[in-house]
Amino acid sequence: MTSMKMLEVPVQIFRYKEGEPPHYDTYTVQVSETAHVIDAMDAVWAMHDRSFTFRRACHHSSCGSCSLRINGVEKLPCITRVTDVWDGHAPLRLDPLRNFPIVSDLVVDVSAFFQRMSASGMAITRDAEPSLPLSVDDLAVTGVSPKPVELPENLSRFNRFENCIECAICMSACPTMATDDKFLGPAGLAAIYRARQKTDNPHEVAHLLGMADGEHGVWRCHSAFECTAACPQAVDPAGKIMALRRELIGRRFKKR
Amino acid sequence: MLIPHVIIVGAGSTGAATAHDLALRGLRVTVIERGEVASGTTGRNHCLLHAGGRYCVTDRESAIECIDENMILRKIMPDLLELNDGLFVALTEADLAFKERFLEGCAACHIPAHDIPVKHALAMEPFLNPGTLAAVQVPDGVFEPFRFCLAFLATARLHGAVVRRYTEVTDFLSSGKSVTGAKLKDRRTGKSETLGADLVVNAAGPWAGEIAAMAGVSVPEVPTAGVMVALDCRLNNMVLNRLNKPSDGDIVVPQRATSVIGTTSWTVKDPDLISIPPEHVERMISQGEQLLPLVRKVPMRAKMAVARPLIARRGEDARQVSRTFECFDHAADGMNGFVTIAGGKTTTARAMAERVADIVCNKLGIGTACRTRELPLASYRLFYQ
Repeated sequence: MTSMKMLEVPVQIFRYKEGEPPHYDTYTVQVSETAHVIDAMDAVWAMHDRSFTFRRACHHSSCGSCSLRINGVEKLPCITRVTDVWDGHAPLRLDPLRNFPIVSDLVVDVSAFFQRMSASGMAITRDAEPSLPLSVDDLAVTGVSPKPVELPENLSRFNRFENCIECAICMSACPTMATDDKFLGPAGLAAIYRARQKTDNPHEVAHLLGMADGEHGVWRCHSAFECTAACPQAVDPAGKIMALRRELIGRRFKKR
Repeated sequence: MLIPHVIIVGAGSTGAATAHDLALRGLRVTVIERGEVASGTTGRNHCLLHAGGRYCVTDRESAIECIDENMILRKIMPDLLELNDGLFVALTEADLAFKERFLEGCAACHIPAHDIPVKHALAMEPFLNPGTLAAVQVPDGVFEPFRFCLAFLATARLHGAVVRRYTEVTDFLSSGKSVTGAKLKDRRTGKSETLGADLVVNAAGPWAGEIAAMAGVSVPEVPTAGVMVALDCRLNNMVLNRLNKPSDGDIVVPQRATSVIGTTSWTVKDPDLISIPPEHVERMISQGEQLLPLVRKVPMRAKMAVARPLIARRGEDARQVSRTFECFDHAADGMNGFVTIAGGKTTTARAMAERVADIVCNKLGIGTACRTRELPLASYRLFYQ
């Protein structure tokens, strides 16, 4: 086997079990230098403490379940390399997402998030948009460009999953959530924007824009843009909130 | 008549689909899962909705299961699939020589396969190796394993099933030669309890052997790990397979904003902690760049490994082991009330569930037929509400 440089990483983890006071436990785990933070969490569970609970499924930023805070900042541990967040000395601190009820350790109850995603009715699949990067700039790889192609008509019917993986990181990072627990939130409003893009049906449009314009909609946002900064999938929820505001304002002028 | 209660161990694709099937047939169902839904093998699978092409030459039984289930999943979870088909691509003369056998295999397994002009393949896949010699299009697709399980479980819950996450089975209760329930530990509180059952279904994937041992029986399973590498960019619209027998790193599954190259194959003793051999990662890159020359230039987003629950048949190496599934009614080993469903793949989870649910209902004297082929699943988002 190829030699693998190993790191000894101290990991400080928020612990909470029902009926007990919350506290931090620190474990030192051995992981490879190319390991992701979720590998360190796995090592804590497998080698040190079987009572440690966390959420995870896909390990490649598709399921959105493992989201938490690393040194205070919302991240997906499955795509965050240990060496990118660990200074080599101080323990790597892991906390649960903010703005959700804590179930156990790093596990939070995300039902409030999924209620918001259901409200928009946004399907998780989308179509009629390109799946691939279209230019060298998009690819961020120098010197290589896909040939511009025109697909035969019967072949241009690709669909793909939405970029939003419903990780709820934006709802944790959003300062407005702490002031209005009914705020539709960044992902919820971005989903309304996506659903609105897909329809010209006046009833559906009125319903979606009505939600966005409501008491807990786009006007609650303080424009901190923390959601856009934290989003691991470049969904840019704050940008979508601003776009909804523009449409709502435009419609008010048109009515007169 | 009292409605029988069935405990299902494991909330991966098999356990989730089995909960749905049994709940639809009117049984009382409790799913016990020690972590989050799909936190084991299912969660970390390759996301490939198989059309069966991968197995149509070497393992026709699996290939037919795949294409049949592929068509059923399109009906019951249409919103949860990327349906962009797949290409089997020939890059060498040896690949090209395989094409006739591949097309014969597809025909024999009723897999719709179209030998398309290379220029069409390159038009659909601008990053595909321009040296491509042939391309065959099949109805592969892509799913997202976590939501796949959530949809089955959300629907099962609508029919009365109970799903208990962060709860592990620590032992089984038995009376004479019959399992009568399970001892459970809630990992959120540390508290233990017992739960009675008329029957237990062991759907613990590569951990099925560990669970079976608690009931005093064994399962001929070989946990076989595989490494996958996810790129920081999507390089293909369709699933790209090498037109040849299944081997390491011969498939790139696109999904959302990434392309995932897989996979390797080695047996592991403990599926709980699998360290990723760096040379396997390198092999994924070097194999993947044959199909998509840009692979090495794109940053890597993630790498993962997980154990497949393959069923051992003597004298076979891991690549040759059939990817089909098997049910074990442990009454044959002298332990009643305990059934294991093992092997298989997420694409065929519904069929696995149908098979094990038939056995369960037969043992419990329930005459209701399976309805999961037709009934569309509820929204996965309902699972958390």
